[in-house]
Amino acid sequence: MGEQAAASTSWHQSRPDVEGWRLSLRGRWCLEQLAAIDAAIPKLSIPRDAVVVLDAGELKALDSAGAMLLVRRLWQAGVAWPNVRRDALPARHRHLLDLVEQRFEEAALAARPRPNALARLGRAVADGLREIHSRLRFLGHAAATLAETLFKPRHLRPRELFVQLDLVGLRALPIVVMMNFLIGVVVAYLTGIQIQKFGANIFIVDGVSLGVCRELAPVLVAVLVAGRSGSAFTAQIGAMKVADEIAAIITLGLSAFQVLVLPRLIAVILAMPLLTFVGDLAGLYGGMLIADLQLDISYAAFIERLQSVLKLKTVLIGLGKAPFFAAAIGLIACHNGLRVSRDSRSVGLATTATVVQSIVAVIVIDAFFAVLLSELGI
Amino acid sequence: MSGPIVEAQNIRTRLGGAWVHDGVDFRVGRGELVALIGSSGTGKTVLLNELIGLMRPTAGAAQLFGIDISQASLETLNALRRRFGVLFQDGALFSSLTVAENVAAPMREHLALPRALRNQLVEFRLAMAGLPLSALDKRPAELSGGMRKRAALARALALEPELLFLDEPTSGLDPIAARAFDRVVRTLCDSLGLTVFMNTHDLDTLWGIVDRVIVLSAGRVIADGPVAEVARVDEPWIQSYFAAHVPHRGG
Repeated sequence: MGEQAAASTSWHQSRPDVEGWRLSLRGRWCLEQLAAIDAAIPKLSIPRDAVVVLDAGELKALDSAGAMLLVRRLWQAGVAWPNVRRDALPARHRHLLDLVEQRFEEAALAARPRPNALARLGRAVADGLREIHSRLRFLGHAAATLAETLFKPRHLRPRELFVQLDLVGLRALPIVVMMNFLIGVVVAYLTGIQIQKFGANIFIVDGVSLGVCRELAPVLVAVLVAGRSGSAFTAQIGAMKVADEIAAIITLGLSAFQVLVLPRLIAVILAMPLLTFVGDLAGLYGGMLIADLQLDISYAAFIERLQSVLKLKTVLIGLGKAPFFAAAIGLIACHNGLRVSRDSRSVGLATTATVVQSIVAVIVIDAFFAVLLSELGI
Repeated sequence: MSGPIVEAQNIRTRLGGAWVHDGVDFRVGRGELVALIGSSGTGKTVLLNELIGLMRPTAGAAQLFGIDISQASLETLNALRRRFGVLFQDGALFSSLTVAENVAAPMREHLALPRALRNQLVEFRLAMAGLPLSALDKRPAELSGGMRKRAALARALALEPELLFLDEPTSGLDPIAARAFDRVVRTLCDSLGLTVFMNTHDLDTLWGIVDRVIVLSAGRVIADGPVAEVARVDEPWIQSYFAAHVPHRGG
């Protein structure tokens, strides 16, 4: 326990006296001074079994933080609370110290375990597996609900479906047209600069039409829909989850899948090929404009060449990928929305996750199609 | 420092084309535990927001510690804000932080404490608010309503305030948790010398721990005094309020 000699700082003085051990407090034992007091009195050198008489003659102020520090120091010195004489203190300080001592005991007794590295690894793996399980379950549930709805079409909720079609499809038109038009312009312009050197101007049509219809329009539209509608799905469903609206839907005897997930999923799957087709047209128009301005290829010449080089197959491949992109976006968005926990922070996290995961899924699916189609020789 | 801690001087508030407050006057002295009651929609929460400086009354003044907060500069106001704590109705804990980080947040901002000491203080504040330490590393979303209120109380107490505002502290709590919360508030008020001003609907809180009740009705204070006196005031709303055997809870 070290030497038990009298000690004195500007905050306290402790010395033996007739009744036992006298501890005089000085100055302001308050929150603002707490760091200073903590540093000035690293420990109290008082024997374990001593009777401690508290004296507040020079004490200017005491608040609960100061009281906590005092109780803590006494506890560290091993002084039992019944041995602390508090009669000399003003009643207010006595009550405060008693309350602090009582609460301090509760705080001191409970030690907190910290998980070690192995436990954290295990938890991460378990979380990963749970995530996969949750996704598979969601996919199965969505497929089953979809199949059931195909056999019982009256379970389909036309009103929700049309609302979603409006939001996902119609209202996305301006941005889809604008973005694809600009991409058509950029591709045509950059290709045109190279192509001009070889005098192969007319091949601009081949390049733009193939690029836009097979790759650029479908992927670009999918990215736009992921950012625009995917995030909206997650945020809407997530906000409903936070406000217990999902629970209310289930309690009313409805299926959250039929009311929320299916209309969104079907809407995005129906709307995406249509948007992609509009994107194709906008991209081709952008290319056509640049071909006319930069390469002196008239609209008529462009369209004539287009008819001979752009095969229906190319367009269909582009449009055919769209529903797969859409399904991935819709499933990821609705799943993330339903998995939101009951706080507002997780809505934001889930929405961000939806956008990132959807775009990754779209690129992966696109790569898969590229390999598959080339292996099949299409 | 003998003047009132909280003082409403003829506060008038116009919201949405109607006068919500039409000359509200009252004062709260040091160490008092005062409750503001009134039927839903009489602007209790609005009044609280005006007292803590989140809203500005249309006319009249709200004074804390003798300073008119609608006239105070931002520095004065922020210095003032360190002297009072607020417990919002749903706790308003930061959902991205754990309970311990929530309580530590005001200390981090305003005090230069060593980490170990701050952690001790956080644990002590939680114990003072009656929260088990197992809740320390949880996020607010994982806590029950009563635990969230206690965590929010611990955060409101973090900087050792002289004055505490509580907005419906027992709404949404079961009677046992509500009474336990009341006891915590009363104990803190007595031993820390806190002044407490609360909005409430809870009759048990009024009878159990409150020193004085202020009744707000039709934009004015219609009664102000100890519970037993206010309960005898011959006014229809007050009479039906205190006649209700099952206390109405929630906003």
